[in-house]
Amino acid sequence: MFSVKLAARLVLAVCLACAAALPAQDVKITDPTSVVMIVNRDSNDIAFMDIKTHKMIGSVFLGNNVNPHMVMMSPDGRYVVTGGTRANKAYVIDVPTLKLVKVIPTDIAPEHLAFSPDSRWYYQGNPEGDSISVIDMASLTKIKTIPGFVEPLNVTFSSDGSKAYIGNYGAHWVGVVDVRRHELLKKIQIAPPPGVARLDPDRYLGEIKGVNIATPTPDGRYLYAADGDLGVVGVIDSREDKVVKVIRVGPNPWRVYMGHDGRYAITPNNGDETISIIDIRENKVAATLEAGPDMTGVNFAGGKAFVISSTSGFVYVYNMQSLKPAGRIKIGTNIQLETATTDTADEKIYLAESTNHQVVIIDAKTEAIERVGNVGLYPWGTHIMDSKDNYCH
Amino acid sequence: MPNLRCVRRIRSEIVAGWALAALASALAFPSMGKAQMPPMPQMPPVSPEARAQESADESTDPKALLERIRMLEQRLADLESSTVLSEPETRVRRVEVWVDPEGGQHDEPVTGAKRVVTYQRERVYRRQTINEKIEEALSSEAEKNVQVGVSAAIATQVAAQTKGPATGNSGHAYALGSADLYFTARVAQNTLFFADVVGLGGPSPDSEIGGLTLLNGFSARLVRQNELNLREAWLRTELFSRTLALTVGRLDLTNYFDHNAAANDETTQFLSDALVNNPTLGLAVNGTGMAAVFDPKRSLNFKIGIQQSNTDATNLSNSLFSLAEIGYFATPFSLGEGNYRVWYRQDNSTGSHRGAFGVSLDQKLAPAITLFARYGSGQVPSTNGNGSFSTGHHFYSGGLQFRNGIVFFPGDAWGIGYAQTGLGTGPRERLTEAYYNFGLTERLKLSFHLTHVLEKQPAAGTVGFLVPGVRLQAAF
Repeated sequence: MFSVKLAARLVLAVCLACAAALPAQDVKITDPTSVVMIVNRDSNDIAFMDIKTHKMIGSVFLGNNVNPHMVMMSPDGRYVVTGGTRANKAYVIDVPTLKLVKVIPTDIAPEHLAFSPDSRWYYQGNPEGDSISVIDMASLTKIKTIPGFVEPLNVTFSSDGSKAYIGNYGAHWVGVVDVRRHELLKKIQIAPPPGVARLDPDRYLGEIKGVNIATPTPDGRYLYAADGDLGVVGVIDSREDKVVKVIRVGPNPWRVYMGHDGRYAITPNNGDETISIIDIRENKVAATLEAGPDMTGVNFAGGKAFVISSTSGFVYVYNMQSLKPAGRIKIGTNIQLETATTDTADEKIYLAESTNHQVVIIDAKTEAIERVGNVGLYPWGTHIMDSKDNYCH
Repeated sequence: MPNLRCVRRIRSEIVAGWALAALASALAFPSMGKAQMPPMPQMPPVSPEARAQESADESTDPKALLERIRMLEQRLADLESSTVLSEPETRVRRVEVWVDPEGGQHDEPVTGAKRVVTYQRERVYRRQTINEKIEEALSSEAEKNVQVGVSAAIATQVAAQTKGPATGNSGHAYALGSADLYFTARVAQNTLFFADVVGLGGPSPDSEIGGLTLLNGFSARLVRQNELNLREAWLRTELFSRTLALTVGRLDLTNYFDHNAAANDETTQFLSDALVNNPTLGLAVNGTGMAAVFDPKRSLNFKIGIQQSNTDATNLSNSLFSLAEIGYFATPFSLGEGNYRVWYRQDNSTGSHRGAFGVSLDQKLAPAITLFARYGSGQVPSTNGNGSFSTGHHFYSGGLQFRNGIVFFPGDAWGIGYAQTGLGTGPRERLTEAYYNFGLTERLKLSFHLTHVLEKQPAAGTVGFLVPGVRLQAAF
C-alpha cells in the first residue's frame, strides 16, 4: 500500500513538473522592451532581435505572399501586429511565445497602423481601400471599417485616446476620428491649393502627394502635418482641431519628424533634396540644409538628427544644437536603405537595409556602424517598444 | 483556380439545394398523388467519386448551407482581391564566394580557396501590383538612358536714356532668346557625363549700351550668336565616399566658384551679369579645364579649378586661369544658414601672372529673406591691354532676396541689388536692379525687371539708362 501510494505521488510529481516545464520552454521573450522587431517583406515574417546581444531570437512566419509592411507592439507589450499588404489581412502575434495567434481580414492593401494608448484599439490603415479597420484587441476581432478617407496613410492617437488623426495622402486634409464611436468626425484642411494651380494640370491633376501623417508634439497639444504638393506644414491645435499656422517648407516634403525634446521638427523635402528644421516654439523654419535624394526617414539620437537617403546609401547627420550639417555616414554602395528606429536611450539607431538583408546599427555618438545579417529577406522596417522614432514609409 | 475539392463541394451544394427544393415541394403538396408531384429537376451528371463525396458532405440544414455559401463567397472575394503574378521577382546581387584552386565555387570559406566577389540572381516571391511592376520597369529604363533637358528663355528689354548727352539709343527695344539643351548620362559608378548645347539669338542692350558689365547675362562667356555653341561638356566622378568630385572637360568655372544662393542664376534671379557673377573673376569664355571640389558635408569645403579662357589659344598653357576657393557654412547670431566663400584667381592671359581675389556671401536673415554680397579686387585683362581693375581697388555688389511668404504665389521670388564696378583706368559703372519672378508652374516662370545703370567714361562723361525688361523662362 505504502509503495503504491509513493509510486502514485512520484508519477504525479513528474507529471506536474513536465506541465510546468512546457510553458517555460515556450516563452521566448520575457521583456518586450528588450527586442527589435524587423519586418521582412519577402520572407513574409516578423523577426525579433535582442537589443543587447544583437542576436536573432526568432521569427514568426505569416504566410506566403503576405508582404508585411509595418510592425508595431501594443503599448502593454502583449501583442505585435502587422498588416499584410498583399494578403489584405492583419496578423496578431503573441509576444512571449512568438506565436501567430490571429489573422483578421481587413480592407485592401493594409499598410501603416497605430495602437490607442490603452492598447484596446488597433487601427489599421488601408490606403487602397480608403478606410481604417478597427480591431478590438480584447476580442481580437475587427469590429468596424471606417470609410470616407482618401488613401489614409498614417494614424496618430491623441494622448488621452479619445481621438485619432488620419493623414490622407490622396488629399489635402487630416481626418479626425472619434475613437469611442469609431467615426470620422471632421476633416481639417491643411491649406488650399494656390491660385496658379489651374495653370499646372500636370502637377495638380496628376498624382496627388498630400498629407502623410499628423505628427504630435511630445505634449500632444499640437500636430504638424506636411503636405507634399503644397510644400507646407500645417500646425493643428488639438483642442480645437483646426490649423493655427501654415509654415512654408521646401518642395515635396515627405512628412514631419518630431525631435524628442519637442524643440525642433524636421521635414525632408524630396523636391529639392533639402531638410527644413522647424522651430516648434516660434513655428517658423530655423534652417534649410542640404541633404540627399529620396529621403525616407529621420531619427534623433545623441543630440543629432540622422536623415536616411534611401537610394544614395548615405545617412546625413545634423547637429541639432548648432543646426549645422555634421557630415554623412556611408552605409554602402548600390544599396537600398529603408527606415529605422531608435532605442529608448537615444543611443543607437537600427536601420533596415534591404539589399543585403541586414540591419545596420548606428552608434549615434561615434557614428560607428555594425551590421547584423540574415535577419530575413528584404527587411522593410524596424520597431522598438516605446521608441520615440517608430515610423514606416 | 479553384481546386477539385472546391468543385466537388460546389456540386454537393447544388445537389443539396435541389434535394431541399424537392422536399419543400413534397411538404407543400402533401395530398397530391404520385402523378401530381412536380417532376424532379434534372441533376447535372456527377462522377462516382463526386457522388461519394456528395453523400458524405450532404446536409439539409438551411443554416449550415447558408454558412457554407457565405464562406464560399468570402473565398471568392479573397481570390479576386489577391491575385498574384505568376512569375517571381528577380534581382541581381553582389555576393562573396570562395573559389578553390580547381575553380570550384563555395558559399563558405574553404581551405585554400580565395575570396571572390561575383554577381548572382536571386528570386523572391513577392506579390506586386501591375502598377508597381510598370513603374519599376520605366524608372529602370530611364536610369540607363541619356536624360535630356531643355531650358529656354527670352528676355525683352527697352532702353530709356536718363542722363548724359544723347546717344541715339534711347527708346530702342531688344530681345535676346536663349535655348539650352542638356544631356546627362550615368556612365559608371558615381560618374556622370554632361553636355550643354546653347543657341542664342537676337540683339541685347549690350550691343548698343557699352557698359563694363552685361545688362543681359544670357550672353556671358558666349562668343558667337545666332548659332549653336557647346557651352559645356564634361565628365564628373566622385571619390572617397563621394566627398571629392572631379570634373574634367569643357567647363564654366563660374558654376563652381563664386556661388551665391540669391544672386547666381540669370534665368531665375537677376538679369544683369554684375549681380549674377563677380567680374573680377575675369573669365571671358568657357574652355577646357578641370575642377575639384572637396565637400565632406560639414561646415568647410574646398575647391580648385583650372580653365582656359581664350578661344584663340593654341595650346593649353596659354590663357590659363587657376582658381582656389574656401567655403564655410555658418549660422551666426542664431540667424539661419549662411554661406561664406573666399576665392583667389591667377591667370597668364597677358603673358604675365595676374591675380585677383573675391568674396561671396549669402545669409538668411529670416526664413523669407536672404542677404547677399560680393566683393572683388584684382587685375583683369582688358581689350586696351593691361589694365588694373578697381574702384580704389574694389568691386562690390549686394542686395536682398525675398521668397516663401512675402510673395503673391508660393513659387515666387523677388529681389533688389546694387553693383559698383570700376577700372583703375577710369571707367566706372553703377547698376541697380529689381525683379519679381512669378513661378507660374513648376516649369514656367515669368519675371519683370527694372534696371538702372550709370556708365562713366573719363572722356565721354556719365550716361544713364533705365532698362525695364520681361523674361519668360521654361525648363524641362
